[in-house]
Amino acid sequence: MPPPLKKQNIEISLPSQVGYERVAMASAESYAKMLGLAPERIEDLKTIVAEAAINAMQHGNKERPDARVTVSMMVKDNAIQVTVMDQGEGFKGFLPDPNIERIVNEQDPPVGFGTFLIRQLADQVEIDKTADGANFVRMTIKL
Amino acid sequence: MQDVNEIKLETRDSVTIMDIQGDVTAFSEPFLNDAYQSANSQGTGKILLKFDSNAYINSGGIAVLIQVLAQTQKNNQVIGITGISEHFKKIFHMVGITKFAKIYDSLEDALQQMA
Repeated sequence: MPPPLKKQNIEISLPSQVGYERVAMASAESYAKMLGLAPERIEDLKTIVAEAAINAMQHGNKERPDARVTVSMMVKDNAIQVTVMDQGEGFKGFLPDPNIERIVNEQDPPVGFGTFLIRQLADQVEIDKTADGANFVRMTIKL
Repeated sequence: MQDVNEIKLETRDSVTIMDIQGDVTAFSEPFLNDAYQSANSQGTGKILLKFDSNAYINSGGIAVLIQVLAQTQKNNQVIGITGISEHFKKIFHMVGITKFAKIYDSLEDALQQMA
């Protein structure tokens, strides 16, 4: 089970429709500003929240209208910890880093940028399952 | 919920400016492709992508931009980028877009250096 919510924690439930990640981005921005995160790191946080939410909508929930994406944010060990959970198959693992030369030469498909950016911008990333089988990605940005 | 882009084409000093209004996501693909094809049909050799300074660009939009880069490479065109925030300059550098397109701080700077 995910940890119980504390007073200062945030939890947002999103439809599995690309575009709604903007709601999570706006919430993450407000939360991070309240916590005093540096402006350039707020932009990093918004990007990783957006990309994890898009992954959960598209690949985890397959954009099923009955499936939700849950984004929760908390402060732990002097860092903002964001957990994005889907109700589908979830992340099966990160794709290899995209190779732009191969993509431009049409040797590789143009995929893998979202997980690449999450790995590059977050201080820590973890993919796991809850005890009841839900998949989640947990990302940390230090305050 | 689909994004819609308005893209204006303008040629200045032998550079075709693609002025991209709005966020750049996977939904931008037809708008960017149509604009690029229009620019290409004019026989341009230099293309400048001008973005909204507050545009949201996600991984889907990056993939679309790289597909445009691929077409410019095939057609031996020089491509530049301007208007993006410091955050997206960093992102474009991370994913390698800057190996194929130079980022300019301003439209004037881009036109001066690309012309």
